[in-house]
Amino acid sequence: MAKWGMVIDLETCTGCQACTTACAMENNRLPGENWQDVLFYSEGEYPHLNLSWLPRPCMQCENPSCVSVCPTKATYVDEGTGVVLVDWNKCIGCKYCMVACPYGVRFYMDEAPVVQPDVKATYPGDGKRTWNPPFKMPDEYEDASKGIGIQPKGVVSKCTFCYHKISQAPEGVADLDEDNPETKEFTPACVRVCAPKSRFFGDLDNPDSYVNQLIADKGGVRLKEETGNKPKVYYLSGGGSPVVPGNRSRRS
Amino acid sequence: MDEINTNVSRRRFLQATGVTGAATAAAVVGIPGTGMEATSAEAQTARAKPNTVITKNICHQCPARCGIDVYTTDGRVHAIYGTADHPISNGKLCPKGPLGTYVLYDPDRWRGPMKRTNPSKGRDEDPGFVPISWDEALDTVAGRLNNLRDAGESHRFALLYGRGWGASCAGLHGAFGQLYGSPNVAIGHSSMCSDGSIISKKMVEGNAAYNSYDYNNTNYILMFGVGFLEAFRPYNNNMQVWGHIRGRKTPKTRVTAVDVHMNTTLAASDRALLIKPGRDGALALAIAHVILAEGLWEKSFVGDFDDGVNRFVPGQDVPVAATAQPVPNSTSVDQEANLPQEPSLDSPEGGTVVPLDALVYDDEPADGPVPNVATGRFNERWVHGLVEWWNIELKDRSPEWAAELTDIPAETIRTVAREFGTTRPAMAIYERGAHAHSNGIYNGMAIHSLNALVGAFYAKGGMMGQMGPSYGPMPADANDYMDDWAQNGNWKDFPRIDKKGHEDGYLMANNMMQDVGPNHLAGDPYKLDTMMFYLTNPIWTAPNGQVWEEALKDVFIIDTSPFPSETGHYADLILPDHTYLERLQDSPTYPFQGFPMTQLRVPAIEPIHDTKYYGDVLIEIGKRINGPMGEYYRELGDTENVLRHLAEGFRADPGDNGVNDFESWKEKGVWYKRRYIYRQIGGTFYKWDGTDYSIEMTPEEVKQIVFPTPSGKFEFRSGLMEQNSDWIAEKTGRDPANLMFPIWEEPVHHGGGDLHLVTPKVALHAEGRGHNIPMVIAHLQPTIGGRGQAFCEIHPDTARARNISDGDRIKITSDVGSVEVTARYFQGVRPDTIVLPMEYGHWAAGRWSKAVPTEHAGEATVNVSDRITGQANYYSSKVNVTKA
Repeated sequence: MAKWGMVIDLETCTGCQACTTACAMENNRLPGENWQDVLFYSEGEYPHLNLSWLPRPCMQCENPSCVSVCPTKATYVDEGTGVVLVDWNKCIGCKYCMVACPYGVRFYMDEAPVVQPDVKATYPGDGKRTWNPPFKMPDEYEDASKGIGIQPKGVVSKCTFCYHKISQAPEGVADLDEDNPETKEFTPACVRVCAPKSRFFGDLDNPDSYVNQLIADKGGVRLKEETGNKPKVYYLSGGGSPVVPGNRSRRS
Repeated sequence: MDEINTNVSRRRFLQATGVTGAATAAAVVGIPGTGMEATSAEAQTARAKPNTVITKNICHQCPARCGIDVYTTDGRVHAIYGTADHPISNGKLCPKGPLGTYVLYDPDRWRGPMKRTNPSKGRDEDPGFVPISWDEALDTVAGRLNNLRDAGESHRFALLYGRGWGASCAGLHGAFGQLYGSPNVAIGHSSMCSDGSIISKKMVEGNAAYNSYDYNNTNYILMFGVGFLEAFRPYNNNMQVWGHIRGRKTPKTRVTAVDVHMNTTLAASDRALLIKPGRDGALALAIAHVILAEGLWEKSFVGDFDDGVNRFVPGQDVPVAATAQPVPNSTSVDQEANLPQEPSLDSPEGGTVVPLDALVYDDEPADGPVPNVATGRFNERWVHGLVEWWNIELKDRSPEWAAELTDIPAETIRTVAREFGTTRPAMAIYERGAHAHSNGIYNGMAIHSLNALVGAFYAKGGMMGQMGPSYGPMPADANDYMDDWAQNGNWKDFPRIDKKGHEDGYLMANNMMQDVGPNHLAGDPYKLDTMMFYLTNPIWTAPNGQVWEEALKDVFIIDTSPFPSETGHYADLILPDHTYLERLQDSPTYPFQGFPMTQLRVPAIEPIHDTKYYGDVLIEIGKRINGPMGEYYRELGDTENVLRHLAEGFRADPGDNGVNDFESWKEKGVWYKRRYIYRQIGGTFYKWDGTDYSIEMTPEEVKQIVFPTPSGKFEFRSGLMEQNSDWIAEKTGRDPANLMFPIWEEPVHHGGGDLHLVTPKVALHAEGRGHNIPMVIAHLQPTIGGRGQAFCEIHPDTARARNISDGDRIKITSDVGSVEVTARYFQGVRPDTIVLPMEYGHWAAGRWSKAVPTEHAGEATVNVSDRITGQANYYSSKVNVTKA
């Protein structure tokens, strides 16, 4: 049983959005359905503008508020991986989870499309799926009970940590690293493509994992710790100690 | 008729959709020993494994040539990842790479060959395309070409190409033009790309090429208008480099980036300098000024005053005596420096050399033996003309002087110069932001000269030239198939339609594609009869493309793109290519890290539609040309035969990954040998001896390989410019006394407006097809929230002064045209500049791009070019902006 977690190094992230597009293509997401988004911020005035960005996947919380609020128990934590999934057979599309999620990483795509004309009209679905792109993932990967593949109408979707990949990983592996031929195929798409290698994926329960080393050496922090959600995504921002101290290790 | 949804015969549709077989030479997922077969017990029992096949390919969405693994299951291509054993991609991708399946399955692709039925051409004319057979299509082309040849007018056939990939496509052009007999086969797009970089480098360095770079070992990068983390090739590898030099390398590489607006490159760098457009050369000259005045240049490479006393005093000439001195104790350099000065430019009309008596070369041998005594003279090592450059130009180019021109504070310039001058290894890189201006040649020469001052050439952490692959010979030698017309026909008397290499045009340029349309329209130097296009769409991409819309109405047009385009909208024949995931196509690397590499596209699936690889189209047309030319192409056979012959060269020179023939090339997708064989260490050039850089290169070798200039050195005083100084002076009014040096020249801005219009490519700009990829449209311009369209970045003060609110539609107007886009307030853009990414505004290229409400900046961009480099001055127009 692994507790899979991700580390994102903001010191080297170039804001290229390859994580966004790779995720979308691996998981057949619609334009704008950014399970893995990159948010851009700017403040200050010419000529000294501070332009910055934050890649934002689902935080795969250990104590997820989306699960707590789901009236049909459609959204749940997978026991083997710790991943938060949605069972599309149970989801009623009430969007309560979207309101409850502190990170804005759940999606409901049956409204106005981001890009016109709607790709769903170009590649029409078959009733079971809302669209049917010719580059759809292999049938064997699709699993509505885990929210993998193309969703039916009227449900919420979210990042699965590429469950169809990581769940195939050999037992006991500490890290899923794209540069290791043994683990390349089991590494989540956003991690695998990341050109500056700003992303790392591993078992947070394994003290020998590289993700744990990075979190310790470089002062990994989690977003919105005050919610008590206990995210499994950590951010590094250069240096040996966190710029903004996290409160997970606070002694009180 | 809606050409996007061209009717397809039922037979052809079935042919297209029924094909699902995966190509040969592919690896099946689940290789023993890789761990990939060791899936969990639950998964093994619960779910069947997909029968996935991986084929090797090269991404087509920018010029970088990243090796990709293409995942195909049950005949469906569903994933693309970087190839792990590929020196450029190393298993990674940029944001465009994964989107290749959208390109393959683009619903707007041409289904097969077609001919036009509506003779009228124009933006609003329906071409009335109807499907025809490949035989009819090829026979039609060959019939026209044979007729032209028989009439003695073969020069009136022009072949224009954009992104040539390798020997099996654009590499076939040279022989085609030679055998057919046309100076216009082929005309490349390099002048609309980045010839301003290539030619400015050629003038000082000698090599007419982009450099390869050793970024991973450099400690300082100074960037001028390159978009290193957006569009600078190879983007994917640049980001890999970034992760290393900015995150993991010790010491961390420092980066200063210069541009006209805040982008991810500038934001991620240590220092962002927002420069006034076209003034990059002034900044570079001031940096050079400080480096010399403060004695920071690399003495081992540049040389020094023989008594070690720095005589570069701001505002003062270095005494003339310092310039007239042979190099003591350096006879090898001395001998080589005394060079014949014959024209060596590409152009046959290369111009005459004018030795300037006023300037005495340091490398002219003095009479009699030279005493080795310190006299305060400057002994140049691998550079030529430094003291003259100082006296003529640099001595007054202080940071205070540059601050006035560039808007960058003098203290900042001084700080950058000191950092750059004291950090080794360091390098300065530049592209269109710096050189797509009227003064681009000098901006480029000035920036590249900084690399000489810090000794970056062929140094560890510096920049080099690119080695080519060990290809075998072609199946036949075109020289053996030339008939009398090919050898002696009067086509040789005609200039190129674009006047490249011609005194009345662009004597020193490589190409002038942007002038083909206007020249044809004017009938000057003549009218074309037939034009064929490969991977280029100049009706849309050329500056002021409206002229092309008029020009191409009376010429027979053949387009070979897999996709509809504006040029295709004017076509008489459509001969659609495969998309890249369906092609067998080679591609040697662009300048990268210097070591030789060539790659192969292997089809992931059989072609979805009735398309044909462009290289085979060219060969099939060639076979249909009368006389020995047809024989030559029958000898070539097809592109696979060509590729098999090329791969024979690997037998004697196997790649590092074991690739030694055609089959192993297909399996691995790339042949490469990581060893780069030249290195400059402490001012001496060495060759690799098998274990180390130990074989000292002779000055002749350095001249041949490193600095193929008249002096065999890096030339601040450019001999190549000097050889053409009469022509340059006549055509540009420049002063023959200094036009051969990196000098400051005020940029000229056409268009009649008051705001600079700058139109960069962004990270998601997928070359040729990004505009019609929904996933690109959703993410094109993240820095200012451009999703679904591209916004025009405008400074709030600039906007308010024009009564423009954030989000208003605005009109951008120059002397040549007017376009409408949406404004977005942005504090990161200069108040005297607006920035609109070049991507949208297509009107005949697909359903998604047509729906984007952003018009095309090119229609407000004036078509003016650098007279020396031929570079289209895409960023030099000035426009008026009003509320729409």
